[in-house]
Amino acid sequence: MHKESRIRDPLIDGNKTFHDITVEVAYPVEGKANKYWWTLFGLSVILMLWGFGCIAYTIGTGIGVWGLNKTINWAWDITNFVWWIGIGHAGTLISAVLLLFRQKWRMAINRSAEAMTIFGVIQAGLFPLIHMGRPWLAYWVFPIPNQYGSLWVNFNSPLLWDVFAISTYLTVSTVFWYIGLIPDFAMIRDRVNEKINPLKKKLYSLLSFGWSGRAKHWQRFEEVSLVLAGLATPLVFSVHSIVSMDFATSVIPGWHTTIFPPYFVLGALFSGFAMVETLLIIVRKVVNMEAYITIKHIEYMNVIILFTGSMVGIAYITELFMAWYSGVEFEQYAFLNRATGPYWWAYASMMTCNVVIPQLYWIYKIRTNIIATFVLSIFVNIGMWFERFVIIVTSLHRDFLPSSWTMFSPTFVDIGIFLGTIGFFFVLFLMYARTFPVVAQAEMKTILKSSGSEFKKIDNEQ
Amino acid sequence: MSNKKTYWKGVAQLENKEFANEIASNEFSEHLPVNDFLKEKKTLEESSTSRRDFLKFMGFTTAAATLAACETPVVKSVPYLIKPDEIVPGVPNFYATTIYDGRDYASVLVKTREGRPIKIEANQSSTSARSQATILSFYDSNRAKEPMFGGKSISWSKLDKQIKQKLSEVKDKKIVLLTTSVISETTLDLIKKLSSKYSNFEHIMYDSVAYDALLDANLESFGLRVAPKYHFDKSDVIVSFGADFLGNWLSQDYSKDYVNGRNPKNGKMSRHFQIETNMSLSGANADKRIQIKPSEQSYLISNLYRALIGTDQIDERLKGVYQNLKKSKSSIVVTDSQRKDVQLIVNAINHELGNYKKTININNPCFLKKGNTNDLNSLIEDMNRGNVQVLITSGVNPIYNLERSKDFRSGLEKVDTFISCSLYNDETSSLADYLCPLHHNLESWGDANPSLNTYSLMQPTIASLFNTRQLETNLLSWADLNKDFHKYLKNYWINKGIDWNKALHDGYFKFNQSNKAANYRKSNLRNFEKVEVNRLELCLYEKIGLGDGTLANNPWLHELPDPITRTTWDNYVAISASTAREYGLMNKTVANGALNGSLVNLKADDVELKNLPVIIQPGQAKGTIGIALGYGRKRSGKVGDNVGFNAFPLISKKYVDIELAEGEHEFACIQLHHTMMGRDMVKETNLDKYIKNPSSGNYREKYYTYKGKLPSDQVSLYEEHDLETGHFWNLSIDLTSCTGCAECVIACQAENNIPVVGKEEMRKSRDMHWMRIDRYYSSEMTKENAKKQDISSVKMYAQMEEPSEDPEVVFQPVMCQHCNHAPCENVCPVAATTHSNEGLNQMTYNRCIGTRYCANNCPYKVRRFNWFLYSENDQFDYHMNDDLGKMVLNPDVVVRSRGVIEKCSMCIQKIQALKLEAKKKGETIKDEDAQTVCSSACSTNSIVFGDVTNKESEVYKLRNDDRAYDLLDHLNVRPSVFYQTKVRNKQNA
Repeated sequence: MHKESRIRDPLIDGNKTFHDITVEVAYPVEGKANKYWWTLFGLSVILMLWGFGCIAYTIGTGIGVWGLNKTINWAWDITNFVWWIGIGHAGTLISAVLLLFRQKWRMAINRSAEAMTIFGVIQAGLFPLIHMGRPWLAYWVFPIPNQYGSLWVNFNSPLLWDVFAISTYLTVSTVFWYIGLIPDFAMIRDRVNEKINPLKKKLYSLLSFGWSGRAKHWQRFEEVSLVLAGLATPLVFSVHSIVSMDFATSVIPGWHTTIFPPYFVLGALFSGFAMVETLLIIVRKVVNMEAYITIKHIEYMNVIILFTGSMVGIAYITELFMAWYSGVEFEQYAFLNRATGPYWWAYASMMTCNVVIPQLYWIYKIRTNIIATFVLSIFVNIGMWFERFVIIVTSLHRDFLPSSWTMFSPTFVDIGIFLGTIGFFFVLFLMYARTFPVVAQAEMKTILKSSGSEFKKIDNEQ
Repeated sequence: MSNKKTYWKGVAQLENKEFANEIASNEFSEHLPVNDFLKEKKTLEESSTSRRDFLKFMGFTTAAATLAACETPVVKSVPYLIKPDEIVPGVPNFYATTIYDGRDYASVLVKTREGRPIKIEANQSSTSARSQATILSFYDSNRAKEPMFGGKSISWSKLDKQIKQKLSEVKDKKIVLLTTSVISETTLDLIKKLSSKYSNFEHIMYDSVAYDALLDANLESFGLRVAPKYHFDKSDVIVSFGADFLGNWLSQDYSKDYVNGRNPKNGKMSRHFQIETNMSLSGANADKRIQIKPSEQSYLISNLYRALIGTDQIDERLKGVYQNLKKSKSSIVVTDSQRKDVQLIVNAINHELGNYKKTININNPCFLKKGNTNDLNSLIEDMNRGNVQVLITSGVNPIYNLERSKDFRSGLEKVDTFISCSLYNDETSSLADYLCPLHHNLESWGDANPSLNTYSLMQPTIASLFNTRQLETNLLSWADLNKDFHKYLKNYWINKGIDWNKALHDGYFKFNQSNKAANYRKSNLRNFEKVEVNRLELCLYEKIGLGDGTLANNPWLHELPDPITRTTWDNYVAISASTAREYGLMNKTVANGALNGSLVNLKADDVELKNLPVIIQPGQAKGTIGIALGYGRKRSGKVGDNVGFNAFPLISKKYVDIELAEGEHEFACIQLHHTMMGRDMVKETNLDKYIKNPSSGNYREKYYTYKGKLPSDQVSLYEEHDLETGHFWNLSIDLTSCTGCAECVIACQAENNIPVVGKEEMRKSRDMHWMRIDRYYSSEMTKENAKKQDISSVKMYAQMEEPSEDPEVVFQPVMCQHCNHAPCENVCPVAATTHSNEGLNQMTYNRCIGTRYCANNCPYKVRRFNWFLYSENDQFDYHMNDDLGKMVLNPDVVVRSRGVIEKCSMCIQKIQALKLEAKKKGETIKDEDAQTVCSSACSTNSIVFGDVTNKESEVYKLRNDDRAYDLLDHLNVRPSVFYQTKVRNKQNA
């Protein structure tokens, strides 16, 4: 009997050849930007400048221009910080963890996901800096040998751990990303006509580090990628665990929770994948990458969102259970107040966006629908912002002594800075989309089905 | 051989001496043709400036002008040419003196540094928040600075001449001197001398808040127009009908006596009944508070008297009062009634109970209140009839604080010469022909006689800041007794046999006065019957902070949260929740937590006040409203103008009508939650339970460990600090004796250079006070009630947020608790807050980068962040931005810059000074010397500071007391500050 094993669906649609891939990936870099790009870019630049203005105003006048007070000393600043850091997570997971697990489908999205990571971490890094009362002294958080006497940093402080975690994360992510880019830069370099565009040639030659495509280069490339993937994998778990310790090691009810590290990591992946989807659904349309970033990719990511979303939901419920089970009245009140107090709407938004809405992905039609996925990913982004807001603000605003209880409302500066980082993020991403190959074309070529499916096709035709 | 060696500077000198000499004598080696050039007019005119020259000139002048404009900041620090003997830079000097502004009296010690007074401390009497804050008013740049005539400045000699002329011109009409109560014997003596010199001279005294009824009743009963000495410490039962004796009543501080009579350690406490309308400080401290309308007061007092003499049934509400009075051996009954016939009944009650022999000493009267409203009213009539030719006022502001200020103003127009002696060019002084600016107390000489046989002296602590004079100097020169008042004062007392130097050093002395009261004379007492009033009633009061508004330009007092409402920078209409509902009035919190309240239009006879803010006050009697006096100044200075509204026009109004007005008022209230939410921050017990078990009410949770159940302080993962060697500073706060008077808050603000942030920032919950006094009301909903009635937690907590309409009140001072396992210390990334080996949590401002993580992780929320630059910033136009206001700053404490966290340091500067002093002397620190400013300011001694390694110290004993507990004990942060449970005495009350 003739037994034919199922041939997997190709990861690249449309019977592409190697050359097609090269041309299509290089197209946005070589061609002229369309009006959508310019509109989006213009908007982002305006937002970014507005945000920078608000930052300058804050640094010039004092943190008092934000809505904080004696009870709530962190609000939008740290909410945004954790949100951006979380967004970054999916990139590392896709490029490192999925590489180790040999998930080939990651190749279409890892470049952009990792770009998103880096740009997200840049936004995140802004907040710890500008939320300081005296940001010009920010370098004091680094253990720099100094002449101030015996001054040294406090290694007990989770904020210091943050400094190390984030700077390591940013460095490793950037290096990993860059290594992957080298063959692709070389591809663009080779396609640039030196006579027409000598500067571009020079630039891409520099960026591609003298890549020649020799077998030895490919071998080293593979090795370094594997080593870096190994290095980056623990970072996926460590960075957000450490961020969560800012809260978990404190004494404030609602913060003081041992569940935070896994809860934060899962939440970060959850929000990270949502953001990857938001971005890629736009990118694949704008730069014609539908053949590379397919419905299959989106479905895979939606499954991850469904999984992490459910895990986050379990974490929320565990928190509530532990508050009740602990018998500590402060703990109990903190969670009761979250759900039913003056910020119930934030808690409700968080629950709806993060727990209820992703459950729609059980439905096949929804998880393979581009529009639905886009809308849902926006919900998740919003929900995850609210999660951080709920954790930070509702825990602080009613802690131990009712005499200090108060509320928080943002000023135009708080809002301006947040919008500014979104603008800044898109400015970076849009510039990246015009100058960098947005799909790792060299890797893509390794998964191009050039044999089996072709023969299958011929078979079918006969 | 003589030495003829010469040294030459160069070969030129050796070879050609003349030439060398010529060169040496010329400053410029080349001939400069300046003279030749300028000599000839013609050549000068012919010459022209070339482009190159022009550029050179331009370059030079621009550079020169630029350089000249770059002034190096001049830091004025002038060393002493001849150093005064008593001043050592860095070492404070203390002067004993007296503060008396016509209302508040205090015998004080003034701390001066390098010649400038910076802090007021209690001496023979206790101080209050206001007397502590006077130091800032002294450096008020809005004070009247020079004598003026008709709005133009004038010299003192001219002014004296003109005034003497005016005074001697008086023939038939009157000269009137209008002052507040004068308690200085020499001043009264001088006034007498002045009155004998000029014809038709009259001296009239009035108090902004009158005590005529009390004084007149005593005149009738005892022949003396005085207030007696009340011994609250000796009284078993205290019954006060509206008299806020722990607050502003009689301007006397009775809290020390009151608390002395309420020490649970003695197994005996007085039982305090407060029958009142507004929630006052006394009411908040009472064991039993009974809410009444002002219209019921006379009837209830009358009914109590009749019941006591057995001619009537006691009113249901006063049953407890009656029974307790009947049973008790000693008691005090007081009232704030403005009716003489009611005060007479109170005198009769006290006489009936035998209190004049035990607890009320009419033979040791207090002289602080002497004002006479009748005299004042006849003055206004006289003025309006044109009978007054010269009016001299001193220290009063009748245009602001008289109910009949309109009549006063119209009368002023008929006065020929109006001379105002005042600290400020205020509402009244601005109408004066002559403005004689007064010295502040801290610049003046003087004496005071606050009560029988007790005298205190006033001496200048600094040369006068402005071209001002004290009243006495004015009186001397107008009476043609051109003597220095200092000499006059000194001779006056030396002639009476007082040891001047000792008295001046001590600040007070005893001198026997003959002032015997007659025996009690019974008067015909009026019977008041029960009346039903169905109108909204008004009850005015003075705030603990601002009082009658004399110190309205003092930002510390405006920013001091009212102990009851905890609202700053405002006065308002206080109303009970149910009455508010009737009128459709509400209070709510907006998105940032700040409090908003409805506005009302108020009408009382002819007085109409528009858009008054409403605050819902638990404990306010139903059908009544309370309004604070002292606000709404128009010419007090940059800080006090137009804060709140003026309620003096309402002073005799009893009934008012209010209606809801459009809009909302934005309050700056810093405590937005009023109940303890079922938590036990303030642990409480009752005297009978305390006697049975001293640790009653002080329950400590125990936790399961592998060693069995243990209290939190025996379970720890942390390494312990070594607190055995050296000092270990602790602070005990007794919640039984804390009356919530807020004096410590102002003392702390003065000592630690705490900035004033203003109403907008206070509204955003950004108060900077290092210590606060939390106030909690009881709620109808408790955990027990919820369990009994089977109410869900969600509903229970929602209802717990609502304070009861008849609440019990507790006060809890909270400052940095100086945890020995401090949550703030762990989390600072740059180690800017660290632990000292003396048990203190220390803040290093210049290391702080302002992440505010410590403030988030502080369970007590006592850390304060500098949201803006509060000093040298015109956005915060209070006192730290002007050269004069800055003088009040304590040079021992850093003024914090923006972006850093600050908090209570337990007055580390004082500890350090103390240690150095002891080290120099080679002694150990004495327990009584170890003080923080809050502990030394506290007149009831409820704050005790000291070293617990000293087993003899008071604080060590308190640490081991059965009542001692740590706030939020379960967190196991091991604070160095601890509390003593509150004990009330409310059984059978």
